[in-house]
Amino acid sequence: MDHLTLTGIFILVLFFLLGSGVWIGLALLGAAYVGMELFTTRPVGDAMFTAIWSASSSWSLTALPLFIWMGEILFRTKLSEDMFKGLAPWLSGLPGGLLHTNVVGCTVFAAVSGSSAATLTTVGKMSIPELRRRGYPDYMVLGTLVGASTLGLMIPPSLTLIVYGVTINESISKLFMAGVLPGLVLASLFMGYIVVWSFVKPDEVPEKEPAMSFKEKVYNSRFLLPVIVLITLVIGTIYTGLATATESATFGVVGALSLALIQGSLSFKTFTDSLLGATRTSCMIALILAGAAFLALAMGFTALPTTLAQYIASLELSPLTLIFALMLFYIVIGMFLDGISSVVLTMAVVEPMIRQAGIDLIWFGIFIVVVVEMAQITPPIGFNLFVMQGMTKKPIGYIAKTAFPMFLLMVVMVLILVMLPELATYLPDNMQTTPS
Amino acid sequence: MTIESITVAATKKTNMALVRVVLDAIYKASGALAAFTLLVMLIIIIMQMASRWLGVQFPGSNDYASYCMAASSFFALGYTLNHNAHIRVSLVLNFTSGLLRRLLDIWCLSIASLLAGYLTYYTIRNVHLSHLINDISQGQDATPLWIPQSAVMIGSAIFTLALVDKLLQAIFIAGSSDSIEAKQEELK
Repeated sequence: MDHLTLTGIFILVLFFLLGSGVWIGLALLGAAYVGMELFTTRPVGDAMFTAIWSASSSWSLTALPLFIWMGEILFRTKLSEDMFKGLAPWLSGLPGGLLHTNVVGCTVFAAVSGSSAATLTTVGKMSIPELRRRGYPDYMVLGTLVGASTLGLMIPPSLTLIVYGVTINESISKLFMAGVLPGLVLASLFMGYIVVWSFVKPDEVPEKEPAMSFKEKVYNSRFLLPVIVLITLVIGTIYTGLATATESATFGVVGALSLALIQGSLSFKTFTDSLLGATRTSCMIALILAGAAFLALAMGFTALPTTLAQYIASLELSPLTLIFALMLFYIVIGMFLDGISSVVLTMAVVEPMIRQAGIDLIWFGIFIVVVVEMAQITPPIGFNLFVMQGMTKKPIGYIAKTAFPMFLLMVVMVLILVMLPELATYLPDNMQTTPS
Repeated sequence: MTIESITVAATKKTNMALVRVVLDAIYKASGALAAFTLLVMLIIIIMQMASRWLGVQFPGSNDYASYCMAASSFFALGYTLNHNAHIRVSLVLNFTSGLLRRLLDIWCLSIASLLAGYLTYYTIRNVHLSHLINDISQGQDATPLWIPQSAVMIGSAIFTLALVDKLLQAIFIAGSSDSIEAKQEELK
């Protein structure tokens, strides 16, 4: 059989295993096994062990379970309640009123949480009932929350960026910093949308809250203190070069535990629950990464990545065309896979392509996060939609519809990123280097 | 039915129940061990930072933390499976029901058991080899690699056990396949 047919079989096996519902990490492992058998005479099992061992015992990966654990601890504290109390007085005066607590709440919480699902559940736990009680229309409450929760993966810490950094061997600290400004821009886009809505449909906006004096507002801001301290610990230490990503995650865990202790929400049960939750999620991601590491090895033998990169280069596409083609590609992939799986599955093939086209890999990390997150708020498979469905018991279709304007805003975000790449590259270029 | 055969059947049933209890205990214990390993990893990193500030040497701390990472991931595999926290593409699974669904589950579990078994077999071989030739870590820690690699071996073995366990349940006990419930724990 010729090389092309073999490659075809390899790809088919991969899609078949994934599609039939074999757990993603194992499906990657299985496809890689078939690939190795087809393309090499090497002892497959031993190569598998070596690839998996070196991928699993990686130092950069240690930040992953720690950031997950931090989120698990904070979810079990009164942090979301406090954030609502602290933010509401400042935001109620804006056009669109307290809906802004969804966006600002997600932005703030994103700075201490690594995933969009954790951001969604923690912020929504408080804001959904509070906003509904005040009479804000459901479609705006749910839509803005689902949309803004995607900031969880843009604004550091971010699990997807850790996985991306580990996969392509880039500095996680730099990737984290790259996400800050685009995250803030995206948050302003969401807030702008709420403002526009309040002018277009003024009759749907509930009555204004009784105004607080400036002094009262400042006094209420004391509730924001814990989260501000945590953000300083996590992002501040990375930016100033005081800590590596793993070390800042350690600060985060210790800080979150102290916060829980002070608030009185730390018991043996919440401690073990949060630790076990982190163990499961981190194990789930580690299995995917292990499978992907072996698959990347097998991919190398198929020569598919280099062939494809050369082919793309021969087309002489402008980087712009390539970026838009990749955006469509990731939206389609995201219909079937979660964000982290789509990143690890495709990077072996996409990385050479990107390098060939001379696209900055830090910038591309932010791009991929936005695009992959877009897929998470669109049906049929959108994790954030599932989480929202679990919280509100509304049908997926309805939630997806409410989130659609946010999806369009994210497309706008991609355009902004393309036109203004410095948005992502400015901070990483100007940060202090981390200790070795 | 004679009294004798009833007693035999009853003993069989209690034996099965005992197997169930033991297996579930193994999964739970490996989950607890994984969580503990994660805690140890945190402590190692805290000690690493503390020693840097104090100007004391803690050679190989990065490596020790990395071994904990690998050990935790592998110890937790079976436990995570039982909590339905490993993700999969459930699009097709969600559209099937009844016998078709059961067959699809048996297919997924068979492939998964085979792959996990294959991985376990080669992990055992490599850990054994690593022990024989006394393979030492290249890092400052100079740990004999078979020690951390054993965690990967044990974890893979328990994962295989959990998958085969689920496979047998899916084949022999109709409608018991709770694993199938595509209740995917979201990325928290």
